[in-house]
Amino acid sequence: MTTDVGPPPARPGALRQSQKEATRQRVLDAARELFDTNGYQGTTIREIARLAQVSVGSVFTTFASKGEILSEVMQARLDPLYAELDRVVPHLRGSTADRLRTMFAIHFEFEARQVRLFLSHIAAAYDWTLSPEAKPFGRNLRFPQIIRGILQGGVERGDVRPDVDLQEVLVLLVAAYAWTYRLVVTSDADAKAMIAVMDRQIGLIAEGFAPRA
Amino acid sequence: MKHISPIQVAADAPARAPTRRALAKQQTRQKVLAAARRLFSEQGYEGATIRDIAAAAGMSTGAVFANFTDKSDLFREIMTDDMEALLAAMRDAAVRGRNAEDGVLKAFMAGYTFYKSRLQLARAAFSVSWDKDGGPSLRGLPSSLSFQDVFTDLLNAAVERGELSQEAEVKLRAQMLFDTYLSNFPQAIFEGWSLDALQARARDQIRILLAGARRG
Repeated sequence: MTTDVGPPPARPGALRQSQKEATRQRVLDAARELFDTNGYQGTTIREIARLAQVSVGSVFTTFASKGEILSEVMQARLDPLYAELDRVVPHLRGSTADRLRTMFAIHFEFEARQVRLFLSHIAAAYDWTLSPEAKPFGRNLRFPQIIRGILQGGVERGDVRPDVDLQEVLVLLVAAYAWTYRLVVTSDADAKAMIAVMDRQIGLIAEGFAPRA
Repeated sequence: MKHISPIQVAADAPARAPTRRALAKQQTRQKVLAAARRLFSEQGYEGATIRDIAAAAGMSTGAVFANFTDKSDLFREIMTDDMEALLAAMRDAAVRGRNAEDGVLKAFMAGYTFYKSRLQLARAAFSVSWDKDGGPSLRGLPSSLSFQDVFTDLLNAAVERGELSQEAEVKLRAQMLFDTYLSNFPQAIFEGWSLDALQARARDQIRILLAGARRG
């Protein structure tokens, strides 16, 4: 195989390293495309290898499972999203419910661009061949932390009851969020439709955490 | 139980009884379904092949295809059987509740109890439900759609009794209760939560989801 990546490296080890990185990137690009088109079950490592123009063996030297490839794809996409969220959070105003609505709306808009990819991410959680390194939906801790921070802020602002179990509220919100994507499966919903449903769900959960009158 | 051979049955009621051939076919179907149920539970939907299922049932793949169109047909049949049994159990449980909250909790627990011994099959079903092709078909099954009605009926009854407000947004709330019920399954499947642990969490969740619907 020839390579035209940059100037000749000083050490053979470094060349191998950059070839490995190029392969890895090609695999991730191919996987992102296939998961978004064919879903999780509909995508095989063999097809990923074919589209990336690498051997099946070389995919397996880098990744332990299909689920791990998807986790890497998602991770690479999510890093910029979380960087954006970190910038947005300090500027949020209004009620806790409205702050939550903004946070989830940003997620829906972001994921709806490649929505089958996100459905694959959810489906991967139930995969039998998942390796321990894989992080399907539900095992990423960053997002729950952000939501929890907003709820905690609500307790301080006084529109979240201090005696409510924030963990349970968080679990309900994340469940509502994930399950709203079923609208894509059942009726091809777009981001706007999902956000409208989520806004109402957040309103209903907010009634459950509002201070008693 | 007294054994009645197919021939005797046929002789007793010639007009209505199934023929020997129909009975044999029925037995074949049951054997395939039992084998498929086991393999889906052991290897997941993707991992189980028709060939493995046929081998486990002790027959040819041709014999399997004579009874089922494809793997998804087989899976739908298993899920429909289970969901119909579970629906009945959930409805029974729901009406035994002391109030709306308790009825919802009992319905949740009927589901968790039903699936306690078949969590791996539930896992396979969740995996299919998010699939591009399998998802719409599994979610669109009549029994699948009826689960939400259990919660809708329960909430409507509570509104009629005056326990919940007229503005209880029953449809949205029933949907959220059902989604919440489903969303606790990963804890049972992957983290081995006990029925007690699931019940404790579900009780808190239901309380939060019903809070805004209370009268007064």
